[in-house]
Amino acid sequence: MARSIVMNGIRRVRLAGFLVLLLFVLTACSTNKGSTYNFQWDITWRSIVSPNGSIINGLWLTIGISIIAQLLGVILGILAALAKMSKVLPFRVMANLYIWFFRGTPLIVQLVIFYYGPQIAHIVTWPTFGIGPFQFSDPAVIMGTVILGVNEGAYMAEIVRAGILAVDPGQTEAAKSLGMNYRLTMSRIVLPQAARVIIPPLGNEFNNMIKNTSLLYVLAVFELFKTFQSYASTTLIYFEYMAACCFWYLVLTTIWGFAQGWIERRFSRGTTSTADVRGPSLRTRMLGLRGSGDAVGGH
Amino acid sequence: MTATTVSHDLLGAIGGVPRPETDVVVDARDVNKWFGRLHVLKSVCLQVKRQETVVIIGPSGSGKTTLIRCVNHLEKIQSGQIFVNGHLIGYRQTGDGKKLVEDKEKNIAHQRMEIGMVFQRFNLFPHMTALENIIEAPIQVRGTNRDEAVVIGRALLERVGLAAKENVYPNQLSGGQQQRIAIARALAMKPALMLFDEPTSALDPEMIGEVLEVMKELAREGMTMIVVSHEMGFAREVANRVVMMDEGVVVEEGTPNQVFSAPTQDRTKAFLSKIL
Repeated sequence: MARSIVMNGIRRVRLAGFLVLLLFVLTACSTNKGSTYNFQWDITWRSIVSPNGSIINGLWLTIGISIIAQLLGVILGILAALAKMSKVLPFRVMANLYIWFFRGTPLIVQLVIFYYGPQIAHIVTWPTFGIGPFQFSDPAVIMGTVILGVNEGAYMAEIVRAGILAVDPGQTEAAKSLGMNYRLTMSRIVLPQAARVIIPPLGNEFNNMIKNTSLLYVLAVFELFKTFQSYASTTLIYFEYMAACCFWYLVLTTIWGFAQGWIERRFSRGTTSTADVRGPSLRTRMLGLRGSGDAVGGH
Repeated sequence: MTATTVSHDLLGAIGGVPRPETDVVVDARDVNKWFGRLHVLKSVCLQVKRQETVVIIGPSGSGKTTLIRCVNHLEKIQSGQIFVNGHLIGYRQTGDGKKLVEDKEKNIAHQRMEIGMVFQRFNLFPHMTALENIIEAPIQVRGTNRDEAVVIGRALLERVGLAAKENVYPNQLSGGQQQRIAIARALAMKPALMLFDEPTSALDPEMIGEVLEVMKELAREGMTMIVVSHEMGFAREVANRVVMMDEGVVVEEGTPNQVFSAPTQDRTKAFLSKIL
């Protein structure tokens, strides 16, 4: 099952690639009031082959924000899932409210309300500080990442909960009978086994996260999309820049697709026989072929 | 894998027979338990002395599994008291001694360290190798250093005849092998008491012998054990005492000879006539 998700992911990416190409051809050929739109291939090409400093910067920012927001989301998701399954009623109520709100409202609205709202109401001024190569001196980057992470946590909570419920209750009993407390039982026995169930949907969540970072353009964060969007709007050359923008997102999501496959195979340790741990070859997966020798089916 | 590969001295692997602090290791007094409206344990009393092996028999639904699950507080009880090694299990001692107040999680976990449990479905940790399964709790719970835990773990694996399976994951082991590792895992905590919940019921017939052999060895070496089992041969050979339960009540108890050869209760006779 896990692997077929990766396959679908790769197929989806390929499909998107074809659609973008089709778009180029159509726009290049279409006429408007008798004049032909002159698609400036060199602009797209340059943004792909020799991206300038701000594109590179946007790329790194997108990567950095995605990873940190996803990590935050996973941590919050685990905490919210445990709270939702807690014996203590206030924990359950808080977790349910959190999940209800962040899954029930649009991400873009959450970004605007939590970033601009408190600032404009003079409740807080978001602090600034810089870490490493990322523009973390910009409070919009920090807050944007936090809000993305908090939003993601609400989705991860349900995924983590499903993962925990998938673990045999006998495992918890065995751990308890050996004298393990709740913390040890969860961290050493239950969550590592839940991880196998959590990781395939987590991979898809991260794929979404990479693309959702583009919403930070409303906070004027110069990630990938905002960078290209500012070029496009100042030069009024949209197709060319946005095509390059698509290209870079596809690079990120495609690389992630492969990473996801690798991680999923690693985490199936102890539950699959050693024979099919290697999985289908790169070529097989890229072309979407299902050779009889490759174990693509579910476990 | 035959039973003959099991060498002697299982408890030697963990440094000798763990000494319970008292002569009466388990003392269950008037234990009552309900599942909703179903009264599954009705004022059950049970005493197990040091180095004694008690086998609990009875038809399914008689409450025998529930009883031993109460002994390490995997199940709550509604009234009565269960002492292991003189410590009240799962609850705090209150003023009048009647009202049960559940103990702190930390204390319950601490009490369970002294009580090993072997499950019908083995419940080995599938993401850990055989050795890792055994050393996990000593390292994480007892704070034993890793090298020492590995030495004990390897010795236990050898004593249950599975030294070669050290780095194998549970899904590549047979049921009998898994159950023997589960026994080793419980022993690694050096428990004063071992509970066996139908340890051979999920096994293919040809694997029952190897598991029973390990349990017999353990009983002979002086481990205090409560075994819920349908293995009458095992009970006859190893048990110091056989307890017959039916409908949440201890119907009859005595030596294997008394219970099997000259049962006094009709329910015991009826049950034995079906099973023997």
